[in-house]
Amino acid sequence: MKKIIVLLVLIAIGFVTLGCGNDGFDSSQRPSVYTRDTTSGTRDGFMKGIGFGDAAANDSLLVDGFATRDNNAIMQAMTIDEYGIGYISLASLNDTVKGVNFNGVEPTVENVINDTYDLKRPFMYMLRANDDWESQEIKEIAHAFIAFLHSIDGGDIINDQGAVALPSNYTWESVRDTHPICQGDNSALTLRFGGSDSIQRIAEALSAEFSPRCGNVVTENDHTGSGDAFRRTQGDQKDQVVGKHIGYASRPFRGDELNTPDDTRGQLAWDAIVVIIHKDNPVDSLTAEQIKRIYSGEYETWEDVIE
Amino acid sequence: MLDVWKKTQRNNERPRMLGRNDKILYKLLLLITIISASFVILIAVFITLRGILPFITDNSGLGSVDLWNFFTDTVWLRGQTFVSTAYGAGFLILNTLYIVFLSLLISFPISVFTAVFIAKIAPEKLAYLMRTAVEMMASIPSIVYGLVGAGVVLPIIYNTARSLGTHSSGGNSTLAVVIVLAFMSIPTITAVSEVSIRNVDENLEKASLALGASNIQTQFKVVLIAAKSGIFAGVILAVGRALGEATAVSLVAGNSRSGPNFGLFDITSTITSTMLQGLKETQGIDYDIRFSLGVLLMVVIVITNVLLNLVKRKVGKLHG
Repeated sequence: MKKIIVLLVLIAIGFVTLGCGNDGFDSSQRPSVYTRDTTSGTRDGFMKGIGFGDAAANDSLLVDGFATRDNNAIMQAMTIDEYGIGYISLASLNDTVKGVNFNGVEPTVENVINDTYDLKRPFMYMLRANDDWESQEIKEIAHAFIAFLHSIDGGDIINDQGAVALPSNYTWESVRDTHPICQGDNSALTLRFGGSDSIQRIAEALSAEFSPRCGNVVTENDHTGSGDAFRRTQGDQKDQVVGKHIGYASRPFRGDELNTPDDTRGQLAWDAIVVIIHKDNPVDSLTAEQIKRIYSGEYETWEDVIE
Repeated sequence: MLDVWKKTQRNNERPRMLGRNDKILYKLLLLITIISASFVILIAVFITLRGILPFITDNSGLGSVDLWNFFTDTVWLRGQTFVSTAYGAGFLILNTLYIVFLSLLISFPISVFTAVFIAKIAPEKLAYLMRTAVEMMASIPSIVYGLVGAGVVLPIIYNTARSLGTHSSGGNSTLAVVIVLAFMSIPTITAVSEVSIRNVDENLEKASLALGASNIQTQFKVVLIAAKSGIFAGVILAVGRALGEATAVSLVAGNSRSGPNFGLFDITSTITSTMLQGLKETQGIDYDIRFSLGVLLMVVIVITNVLLNLVKRKVGKLHG
């Protein structure tokens, strides 16, 4: 019994002393690569942004031993893993990790707005098909919402939430009269939004600002993922209880999703993606080519990258 | 626990003559039983029907998934998502069984020692306190274990690997999954073992003590042996829970896409963590294949349970 206790104490001491060992950045270590899942919109935007579009939906092209985690888990991993490299949305970036300059351009909201920062993905929306609305009123309100989305007022809301709205040349004020439905009382009607959860904060802010401008229409935001933007507006779930009037996607539409009328979908904003590394990592700037070589396994150590 | 339940069941003979009210009640209870039992069947049928789709349909022109390949391949998906159908889950089966086995190596001795302590050695008040603690641990949701794993276990493993001269991906590793699953199994095995240890015939103990064995000798060489069938029942429950755990595992596994991953500090993935990965975002074949993993998981769980029950029967017979 004594022997067992002594052994346990020794193991515990071992763990504690081992845990304290920390002696700076060793550039001969291999980079540990983190990625989002193949279905993630961020991954799609990232891989295409670094010129590695083939790997957007293909794990077998990536370096051996990469880890697949979600946005928060990649952030958290980068606070622990000195040799890690991952990517997140610009809106999630904080000072616990280091955001790498992409092709020499710092990842800031200003640089996305002035279009010098290139690592970004589109935020898209999809409406129900033109002849598939439960009532004419809802259809008109939805179209008024899209007009609001593209106005300067809508753009301000999108920018406030950390994404970057497309340039606009009209205010909501100037187009309000072309949407007479918004003059009346719409508080008995509900406009249902769904789709990407990356867009949820922006979508909720837009809904909240739009409602008082359009007869207090009730808005409902239920965000489940980019795939549901199509599935729940024009796809197989459109007539179920989860069916939506407007769905958001944080990636370009693809496959079946493109077999929909052109005038039922569009882009509302850009979202920037940031490559993040541990704060102790001396690297400050990476080119698209360097990042691609890390993700494909061409660079075996951080030394290769720094040279 | 199971043994006690069986015993009481045997002693409760059913009344032969039923009154009218009894008959109505009997039918009502029968109906409710059928409804609740049919849910299990419904789920199994639903998952199976959905799960075999990728193998028997051509997946809207992509071609069907090769069944043999699915059971044996060492890469989750060769080629592009939504285009390729070359799915392989062979390495996931190995990873899952390997991880559960390792976690049992940790949780089994700890649980049994704890159970002996609570049931036989600890003073009454302390035993009551610890029993409550164990029961509370058993009811903590798995996501909480996962968060503790991600927040506490991962940094420790990362630093340990670092001092040993190897490198782990932020601690996401086989070892992290094993530790989290061991923590989750301990309350289950402990609770069941403790009950079965307490139910060991007191005369056995007294006989052992009277023959001159010390208290510790008696507990380990007589009581534990007599309770082994119940302890094994606890192990079976824990293995079932560990095999099916998804949330906590995927928070610390790193979710590798090829394998098998036997290195303790290498990232890994299990059947369940792969099912969960991207589930909300995906569609078509990549969605349906997760149901196939569900079928695979059910098969693995059933086979493991049958094997463990066979072993349990064998072990139970030895030494009476």
